[in-house]
Amino acid sequence: MRRTLPLLGAALLMAAAPSGPPFRDVRPGVALVFPRDHGAHRDHRTEWWYVTGWLDGPGGTHRGFQITFFRTATGLRAASRSAFAPRQILFAHAALSDPAVGHLLIGERIAREGLGLARASTTDTDVRIDDWTMRRLPDGRFVAHVAGDGFALDVSFRPDQPVLAQGDGGYSRKGPDPRSASRYYSLPHLDVTGSVTRGGRTERVTGTAWLDREWSSSYLPAGGVGWDWTGLNLDDGSALMAFRIRRVNGASLWAGGSWRAADGNVTVLGPQDVVFVPRHRWRSPRTGALYPVDPVLRVRLPGGVRSLPLRPLFPDQELDGRKAGSPVYWEGAVTTPGGRGYLELTGYADRLRL
Amino acid sequence: MALDWRAVTVPRWMMMGEWRAHPVRIGTAIVAIAIGVALGFAVHLVNASALDRFARGLATVNGGADLRVEAAGGRGFGEQFYPRAASVAGVGAASPVVKLRAQLDARAIDLLGIDVLRAARVTPIIVPQPGPGHDATALLDPASLFLSRAALAGRHVGDAVSLVIDGRTQRFRLAGLVAGAGDRPLGIIDIAAAQDRFDRVGRIDRIDLKLARSADADHVRAALAAILPADAVLAGAEDDGSRTDALSRAYRVNLDMLALVALLTGAFLVYSAQALSIARRRPHFALLRVLGASRRLILAQLLAEGLILGVIGAAVGILLGFGLAAGVLRLVGGDLGSGYFGGDGTPPLLFAPGAALAFAGLGLIAALVGSLLPAYQAARIAPTVSLKTIGDAVDPRRRPPLAPAFVLAAIGIGFALLPAVRGVSLFGYGAVGLLLAAGIAAMPWLARILLAPLARGRSTSPVIQLAIGRLWGAPSQAAVALSGIVASVGLMIAMAVMVASFRGSVDDWLNQILSADLYLSAEGSTPLDKATRDRLTRATGVRRVDFASQRGITLSPGRPPVLLSVRDGDMPPAIGREISAPAGTIAVRVSEPAARLYHLTPSATLQLPLGSKPVRVFVTAIYRDYARQSGAITIDGRAYDRLTGDTARGEAAINLAPGADVAGTISALRRALPPSILDVVRIVPTRALKAQALAIFDRSFAITYGLELVAVLVGLAGVAATTSAQTIARTREFGMLRHLGVTRRQIVAMLGVEGALLGLVGGIAGIALGCGLAQILIHVVNPQSFNWTMETRWPVGLLAGVGAALVVSSALTAMLAGRRAVSTDAVRAVREDW
Amino acid sequence: MVVPKLLLEITDLRKTVPGGRLLFDGLAMRLEAGELIAIMGESGVGKSTLLNLIAGLDVPDAGVVELDGVALAALDEDGLAALRRRRIGFVFQAFHILPHLTLAQNVGLPLALLRAAPAEVRARAIALLAAVGLAGRENDYPGQLSGGELQRVAIARALAHRPALILADEPTGNLDPETAARILALLIGQLREAGAGGLLVTHSDVAAACADRVLRLTATGLVEA
Repeated sequence: MRRTLPLLGAALLMAAAPSGPPFRDVRPGVALVFPRDHGAHRDHRTEWWYVTGWLDGPGGTHRGFQITFFRTATGLRAASRSAFAPRQILFAHAALSDPAVGHLLIGERIAREGLGLARASTTDTDVRIDDWTMRRLPDGRFVAHVAGDGFALDVSFRPDQPVLAQGDGGYSRKGPDPRSASRYYSLPHLDVTGSVTRGGRTERVTGTAWLDREWSSSYLPAGGVGWDWTGLNLDDGSALMAFRIRRVNGASLWAGGSWRAADGNVTVLGPQDVVFVPRHRWRSPRTGALYPVDPVLRVRLPGGVRSLPLRPLFPDQELDGRKAGSPVYWEGAVTTPGGRGYLELTGYADRLRL
Repeated sequence: MALDWRAVTVPRWMMMGEWRAHPVRIGTAIVAIAIGVALGFAVHLVNASALDRFARGLATVNGGADLRVEAAGGRGFGEQFYPRAASVAGVGAASPVVKLRAQLDARAIDLLGIDVLRAARVTPIIVPQPGPGHDATALLDPASLFLSRAALAGRHVGDAVSLVIDGRTQRFRLAGLVAGAGDRPLGIIDIAAAQDRFDRVGRIDRIDLKLARSADADHVRAALAAILPADAVLAGAEDDGSRTDALSRAYRVNLDMLALVALLTGAFLVYSAQALSIARRRPHFALLRVLGASRRLILAQLLAEGLILGVIGAAVGILLGFGLAAGVLRLVGGDLGSGYFGGDGTPPLLFAPGAALAFAGLGLIAALVGSLLPAYQAARIAPTVSLKTIGDAVDPRRRPPLAPAFVLAAIGIGFALLPAVRGVSLFGYGAVGLLLAAGIAAMPWLARILLAPLARGRSTSPVIQLAIGRLWGAPSQAAVALSGIVASVGLMIAMAVMVASFRGSVDDWLNQILSADLYLSAEGSTPLDKATRDRLTRATGVRRVDFASQRGITLSPGRPPVLLSVRDGDMPPAIGREISAPAGTIAVRVSEPAARLYHLTPSATLQLPLGSKPVRVFVTAIYRDYARQSGAITIDGRAYDRLTGDTARGEAAINLAPGADVAGTISALRRALPPSILDVVRIVPTRALKAQALAIFDRSFAITYGLELVAVLVGLAGVAATTSAQTIARTREFGMLRHLGVTRRQIVAMLGVEGALLGLVGGIAGIALGCGLAQILIHVVNPQSFNWTMETRWPVGLLAGVGAALVVSSALTAMLAGRRAVSTDAVRAVREDW
Repeated sequence: MVVPKLLLEITDLRKTVPGGRLLFDGLAMRLEAGELIAIMGESGVGKSTLLNLIAGLDVPDAGVVELDGVALAALDEDGLAALRRRRIGFVFQAFHILPHLTLAQNVGLPLALLRAAPAEVRARAIALLAAVGLAGRENDYPGQLSGGELQRVAIARALAHRPALILADEPTGNLDPETAARILALLIGQLREAGAGGLLVTHSDVAAACADRVLRLTATGLVEA
């Protein structure tokens, strides 16, 4: 009966809400301020704390994981006196990519903010939905606890590199209209320690992860149906982020990214600098969606065009959250020669609502 | 207490010797117990698994989930308790609810303020669905209202709706439906809107809790109780459970009784197997007694025998039963094919160790009880030095006693007159058991009566003379063999007659209620407006249309709602008395279940909650209804319109004009419908509906037929076991007969005649007994369990078939056993003393 | 001088059958330890009933049966069973060997009823089977034996628990004369060897001739033949 909750998360997250009350737009030329910007930005419609990465277990096992907290403002009930007033909705996804399982193990939470059960601090990273938490410790590490169907993750992430502001000093455009943009920074090369609990057994893990922080009031531009995104931690210490916004026919509507070399020099990538070349397509047996799960990413860098073929840990890394009222997307651990990271493919099952 | 092995040497020898010598006989007894236990346990398991699923389903409907915290008073409790309750270890999800009574037009509805995000995890059934033109954010919008179909009363999504609570009117926009609410008139708004707009800020009335998968309900309950504020109480799932019970108890009791019947048949088999085995060994026990064995020793040995058989049989039976249940669940689903419990797929099989122990225990008791009487008789044997062959203790000239049978039957009939206990026909089933016992107790006497004409007859055939003489002269041995047949045939016939009667009555009832040619219904009682109704009436091929509608009304808070059926056409035909309503009163007819549940008879009056204040109505007749176990009341459409102003109708019974074609008329009717409701209206020929209903009926009882078949097979196995045991025991008699010049063929023929006579007597007695038991099922158990009655139908073909099958099969088994007996060396058989 | 011990004493015994017919009245007899008495008489005169009364399997209308100085009337059902178990051995006309027990088990039955240790029971049974000429047959089943052999087993069984009194009811009645003579000799030989007293109900003059005393049961009581 969960289907009775119709994609509420998706709807709230992606709705352009043209007629709603005004949310604050993001603008260029505003500096990122920390730790303030690690916290929530309640005046913006949508925001996320998005961690993806690789976990290396004993005996040489490699698994992918995703922990995401979303915040979305509804614009409803500004004048309410009720503690239940649904001004802000928080929801979270967690997934474990275990090749031994062959599909994602997922978990989710959703709640309206309030009464201490769900909250997102505005001063630093401190997000909670019931027993799911993510926060930043005074020493700079992030810690998270999530528990899904048959698994739980208790992990901490230590940033070993400075914040990577995306786009123009943290102003990341998503389309031709300058208002279609987000505030966006990443923390690549996070050093992971923690534990994975599966079927009552807990094992210690280490690994590397990538944190994306993004907030916006108008994310997908008109005509966009979804996006491809990847964040790669390369073995030499460099980091690559690339995305493209797709039209319904699969053509790119916008693209962007950044390349931070091992020496710390950052190259910002524009719409002309990023191409995703699909190779094989994998069809989901659940949703029937066709995902290009192993594209070749071609980026124009100062030294010339670089080709990065991406290979998924296994094909079925589709996150089917329909039962919980969440959108369907592909979020998978990938490798590339000399590095590893995550690939995200959205808007393939049905177009993200616009 | 240390066991002195030397004390058990002799019983051990005797048992081992017997089992070594007659493994088949031991096997038969074990199989009998095992089959009884297995059937009983399997039916119970399937039942319990289905019920568990059903109960969970209902918990979802009632919004109760696993546990609820409810306000003690009318003003709720502080919302701060909600995060505390949600954080208690073992609570998987918590959903806060503000509960209000609202007036919607003139009707009172339940208005719930919920947090859909929480309710989706705890009580998904009451999560509304946004209608056309509304996206998911409407679920959180303070202006949104969602109504169940029962509260809709002709409104459409997008309409503005006013709700009145405590005299305060608030306007909402109808944003969608609560599809899962069933018959309940229910409105759903966001919890924050409920607090803001009805002055409840800071207060909530209920928290629905869902337990974490691994949580222990008692622990969570205790933890919650420890922190509960003074103005809140912990409501168990038991309250909902009692309702679950009320709905399903009858069906469950019926199935469990079938299980016990199977066990009972097994017990009779054990009894007859043990009784024969002991009777055959009576000289052995007499010898032991002469040699100085105490009575206690003999009794202990035989009870130990029964115990060992019982333990093995019960263990085998539990395993068998588990396997059987797993198979049945896979094949026909958890409701044994009845469709009663709804839901799809196969529920997981619950092992239920308690039930396993209980059924194993029952099997053990059956084995012990089956051994007790013969063991006691064996221990009472008067031993003599000459140890003359101990034959039938009864003098053939003496009439077997009938008094015990009369006493049992009298108590049984007394039981049949007692009322149900908490909705369960305990005494009814008790009466079935007692009458069964009476029938068996009467067997020696009855065998004599039934054989008397044969015994008087002068048959020229020595075969027939010998056979009749044997049965006539040894009535108690014949009775032992007969008891198994009578028990299984009696119960089987009782079920068969009841099912046949039920089916016949359902068929009649369907013919009555589906007397029109076509039946039109709109899903969810979507109303047909006046113009549509006029167009339908004028459609080509239509002679007459009777419109109707139905809705649920609550007569008593502790009971599920009663269906109020509004009919513009004829009232349903009465069963029994029919009186006319006094002038100035409003006439209604009530269904049989409603009459029994609310103690209504013609000329009774009752209050119906129609409109703003209750309306007094007058009952003119009772009608039969097998569809609504919780009861139905039919009221004339004009009276209803006058009372409520609600002229909406969602159903119609259509009679065709002479010569009109069914398909053509259906398309004419479809053309008369407005396009907006075309997809929710179904028009079906009543013949199809009838066939569908009977198909469902037959499916419901498919498992009953299966169980009956098994009961008969078990009974026949009993005949085979007892006749073969007796035949083997009579080897010496056959040897003697052969010495006298009787041919082998004649002996086998004699056994065949004996078997046929046994089958005949058992069949006649069993069928007669079964017909009697059926009357109790029909007139006591069914009305008490389901609140409906039926008329007895006699499945004559089946009765005759069972009788013939019994005669043939018992003759065949006796002859098969006999062939073995006569093939042994006749000379040695005579010399062998026992 | 050795005073013979009195084993069985019957005084003033009276018994009627259920139909009311008087079998005997004022019947008296004494049996000393080691003594063998043959009882003869017409069919239906009550010989078997007399044995039943002595074994405590039937109750007299009047009179006293004393075994080892104990009046049977003073014993309850269990006491009578215990008395039979300990003091009396039986040999029947129809052998009454349990068909599903081995010969050793059949012979050992009385000892086993006295709760002797299984090894002792078996050893004694094997020895007795050898003594009655069935050495090595202890594991056979009765179905394989002839009538004479069955009665040998019965005699061995009657002696197993070293009873003081052996009651034999027409032990050769079902046997051909030749076998009967051999069985009788065996029974009496074993009886003497065991030093047990015996009551032998018989029609056979040959059998009677071997007894210390012969009594004839008539409607007027027991008379010395």
